[in-house]
Amino acid sequence: MAVVADSLIVRVAKTGWLSREIVSVWLEAPELAKRTKPGQFFGVKVREREDLLLRRPISVADVQGDLLRLVFRVVGKGTRALSRSRCNEEWDVLGPLGRPAPLVKNKDVIVCAGGVGAAPLLFLTRKLIAKNRVWILIGARTKQELILIPEFRQLGARVLVTTEDGCAGKKGLVTELLTGVVKDLAKPVIYACGPKMMLKGIIEIAGRVQVWGFIEERLGCGAGICYCCGIEKREGGYLRLCQEGPVVDLSRVVL
Amino acid sequence: MSFEVNIAGVKFSNPIIAAAGTFGFGIEFRRFAHCLGGVVTKALTLKPRSGNPVPRIAEFNSGLVNSVGLENPGLEVFTRNILPRMKGLKCRVLVNVAGEDVSEFVRMAEQLTDERIDGLELNLSCPNVKQGGVLLGQSPQMVEELTGAVRKRTRKLLVVKLTANFVDPAESAKAAEAGGADAVTVINTLFGLVLNDDGKPLLGGRTGGVSGPAIKPFALFCVDRVRAAVRVPVIGCGGIMNGKDAFDFFCAGASMVQVGTANLVEPGGAVRVAKEFKTLCQKKGIKGLEEIIGRAGGGK
Repeated sequence: MAVVADSLIVRVAKTGWLSREIVSVWLEAPELAKRTKPGQFFGVKVREREDLLLRRPISVADVQGDLLRLVFRVVGKGTRALSRSRCNEEWDVLGPLGRPAPLVKNKDVIVCAGGVGAAPLLFLTRKLIAKNRVWILIGARTKQELILIPEFRQLGARVLVTTEDGCAGKKGLVTELLTGVVKDLAKPVIYACGPKMMLKGIIEIAGRVQVWGFIEERLGCGAGICYCCGIEKREGGYLRLCQEGPVVDLSRVVL
Repeated sequence: MSFEVNIAGVKFSNPIIAAAGTFGFGIEFRRFAHCLGGVVTKALTLKPRSGNPVPRIAEFNSGLVNSVGLENPGLEVFTRNILPRMKGLKCRVLVNVAGEDVSEFVRMAEQLTDERIDGLELNLSCPNVKQGGVLLGQSPQMVEELTGAVRKRTRKLLVVKLTANFVDPAESAKAAEAGGADAVTVINTLFGLVLNDDGKPLLGGRTGGVSGPAIKPFALFCVDRVRAAVRVPVIGCGGIMNGKDAFDFFCAGASMVQVGTANLVEPGGAVRVAKEFKTLCQKKGIKGLEEIIGRAGGGK
């Protein structure tokens, strides 16, 4: 049963645009920074818009010292308003929410990122890199939408880049890069975050390889109470994204 | 200052309670449940229900539309695994009961006898199910029959949660009163349809139930109207997001209020509403609820 967390008011320490639509916001939140694990996210209230009731689920792209780095794409009114936040403004955040991603050891790990999906994978990779061999496969429609590549490179992972229009890296899709990498590895583990089409493609290629996918769904309370954020299970019924997700074994769910 | 409420012999320490489906089974909020008069549990059905397809929630200006479809573990799992953990809750517990027909309601009422359960709230108003729910609540005759049938099988506090979807809630309230209800909850969510960018239904269940500040004026109207029609206490519900909203519902004639959507904005939001309401009353020098209930002057 869910244990409900309190929301906290934290200070925006730094903001910046990673692409035309993707924003990075650093929050000064020492206590939350200590508690947050890869795969978790925060429910952020759009404080200046009382008419927007629900918190926006935003994934944690990184934790450094006392700072939490949240990265999100502007998709509507709420994220637009949040994207206009300035340094020293206060955010009302609920979290960390969701179950942390399982961390493997002594494995070949392939991290597949599509577009803004790279964000939560950066923090995950930071935790995985010391104990595993890690490949990062990053794709986007075009060069401008590729994000966080210098950060991934800094971690020392092998980074392969692809764009659909070919203006950066290899022309194509993340799934095509994956086909190339996965065949040479004995028993890899895949972590993936990106559009549903990408996740579906990855499952097909992965065969029996374990795939942990980051799922996106409309969120209600974020605390396990409202049952709004269902992820359909193969066996029937639903998981709650905010409790059993957002990182799930993709063989268990219907995409 | 005392805001204690007594409904048919059941005392609530304060008049703010959490609405069904927005506060789990109360145990998730154990550490501040005592700040509320009570909690209404997530709707319970006889058999487990997996709920409606996703997406289950949409937002519009000042409101939400949900289509959860009563996902719940069912009566047996509730009784065996959840109810024992509710023992220590320091507030009243009402179980929201959602049968598909009279016999299911009766069977559930007969089994929900544990002393931890202070009352039952009959869900005759969920808009997101194909059987039961709003379909029963739209017929005052059915409301009376069903309430009467359950009344014969339970001595617990009996509340009926009414719909205002294409039926006059005052007529339904009279029917519930005639059937032996101790109180009526007014209102549940309103029918709603949300379309995506392509003009297709956004919610997996196609339509949903509208809640939040957007429905507050209509909910207040209904409380005002229902209070004029019946003698049993009215529990007001619909878009209460803060202390002033709660205050308004008492003025419209509610004896207690339920807070729902505010709990999705911040888990346990009902507790904040209760605190704000108390502070507001203190500021206004109000010493008891009787000073404000019905202040708006409708009906009686």
